[in-house]
Amino acid sequence: MAIIKIESLVFEYRKEDGAETVKAINNVSLDIEEGSFTAIIGRNGSGKSTLAKNINALLLPGSGAVYVDGFRTSDDSAVWEIRQRAGMVFQNPDNQLVSAIVEDDVAFGPENLGVAPVKIRERVEEALHSVDMYELRKKSPHMLSGGQKQRVAIAGVVAMRPKCIVFDEPTAMLDPRGREEVMGIMTRLHEEGITVILITHFMEETVRADRIIIMDAGQIVLDGPPAEIFRHSDQIRRLDLDVPLAVELADRLRKRGRAIPWDIIEDKEMVAYLCR
Amino acid sequence: MSIVVKDLVYIYGEGTPYETVALDGVSFEIGDEEFVGLIGHTGSGKSTLVQHLNGLLKPKSGQIFVGGTEITARKKGLTNIRRKIGLLFQYPEYQLFEETVYKDVAFGPSNLGLSETEIDQRVREAMFLVGLDFTAMAERSPFELSGGQKRKAAIAGVIAMRPDVLILDEPTAGLDPRSHADILDMLDKIRKSRGVIVILISHNMADVARMADKVIVMDGGKIALAGTPAEVFAQDEFLSAAGLGLPPITKFIREMRQKGAKIGSNPLTLDEAEEAIDAYLTTKRGAGA
Repeated sequence: MAIIKIESLVFEYRKEDGAETVKAINNVSLDIEEGSFTAIIGRNGSGKSTLAKNINALLLPGSGAVYVDGFRTSDDSAVWEIRQRAGMVFQNPDNQLVSAIVEDDVAFGPENLGVAPVKIRERVEEALHSVDMYELRKKSPHMLSGGQKQRVAIAGVVAMRPKCIVFDEPTAMLDPRGREEVMGIMTRLHEEGITVILITHFMEETVRADRIIIMDAGQIVLDGPPAEIFRHSDQIRRLDLDVPLAVELADRLRKRGRAIPWDIIEDKEMVAYLCR
Repeated sequence: MSIVVKDLVYIYGEGTPYETVALDGVSFEIGDEEFVGLIGHTGSGKSTLVQHLNGLLKPKSGQIFVGGTEITARKKGLTNIRRKIGLLFQYPEYQLFEETVYKDVAFGPSNLGLSETEIDQRVREAMFLVGLDFTAMAERSPFELSGGQKRKAAIAGVIAMRPDVLILDEPTAGLDPRSHADILDMLDKIRKSRGVIVILISHNMADVARMADKVIVMDGGKIALAGTPAEVFAQDEFLSAAGLGLPPITKFIREMRQKGAKIGSNPLTLDEAEEAIDAYLTTKRGAGA
């Protein structure tokens, strides 16, 4: 079943001078299956973040429609239903944390939903466990590392019990360890049944998805499983994007006349193949 | 131009329950035109260190010499130091504020009391160095530019000050792969054409391995490791304990070796790795494996 349905979505920005408009999203139609893990990539300005913000009603369609679990985002009365179902995690954790204590921060969302206090505690504890931050629940967010802060931000979303979480470049500001932590949590949430939509510039992160969507100039240019997408490595490079390391190496070795199987896209598989 | 740092100590919140030793006896030297990669996990002291280099923070003890001048001793004259040392924070595009790209890049030089002609020359030069087309971009609002262009405009503002040292904190964060590559190429170009020292703070080990002459690794407010990229990235166990890692390609080759592949070299770039893997495959086939 599709949890997100996007039908002929058009979204326009008005330029600063007020006269011209730019179509950030130009007629995109898309279904995202419940429980799936979709990675969206594209150069800066390709429309991927605009698309993400249309999913949880931070932005509303110029024309066309977006449905989240059956609720239409342009329907004013459905906004809370939608935001509860589709949570969002942004690039900079510092902009997403509001309280002086970790567990208060995580409770902020459910409190606003009017959840009963006893239930809030239950949800907060569960959310903190799910991002491995329970031990640090009494800490102040500013004492935490970047990866830990981002995990608290994710816990705040998880405590809303969403069906779907949109991650908009969640690892862009993190050190290598923080990136690993956040990717691990994202994979785990997906395994627990949450629909994950990941916007990223790190190609290595996309190989964990079961579907990759590549956007350019407000439109979808490629859409499919990672192994299929990365067969188009030349086209991907023309879109100013990279391919994962294993794909790059395979391409280079193929040019030297070595037959590397096309379904190899992850480092581990490539190492095993080369050392077989 | 050189930088010499001796026994630098800095303590945040001294005398409070939050007292933290952010820099704990840091010493190093950077030579003429060197490209330095400064790495370390969040909170390791990198940002605190570079804020000392242009006098934004004063050490509790220790000395810093920039081009032979001790900047830690003087009470006055910091303006001159800041002019010599261009520091670019994370997400510098948030600091763009003028109506046009031209005015934004010209802001720094205008405050130096230069003539109009000199300012104009500097703006053109800086825009050229960062790869922003003057005719197309100078009169546009910085807020209309793409993410990568905004970042370049912000960097141009620092370049226009003609610093001797350029310090950049994660200048490629959040940029797409193309803009990312553009920024790195630009740094190389600026170093070569203007002969500046570049200090790059980065979490991207591949960039550091490819660009830097010298890598400084910080951990717990100390310099944990320093050397050429080949020397530093040979210490994989140490790096992973410090919350860092290897460049992906170096890690890849290491994993091949663990699976029994006989690869002698320690490639730091894709080109080197491609050669090494190809040679390995040829030998393997020759051995009939």
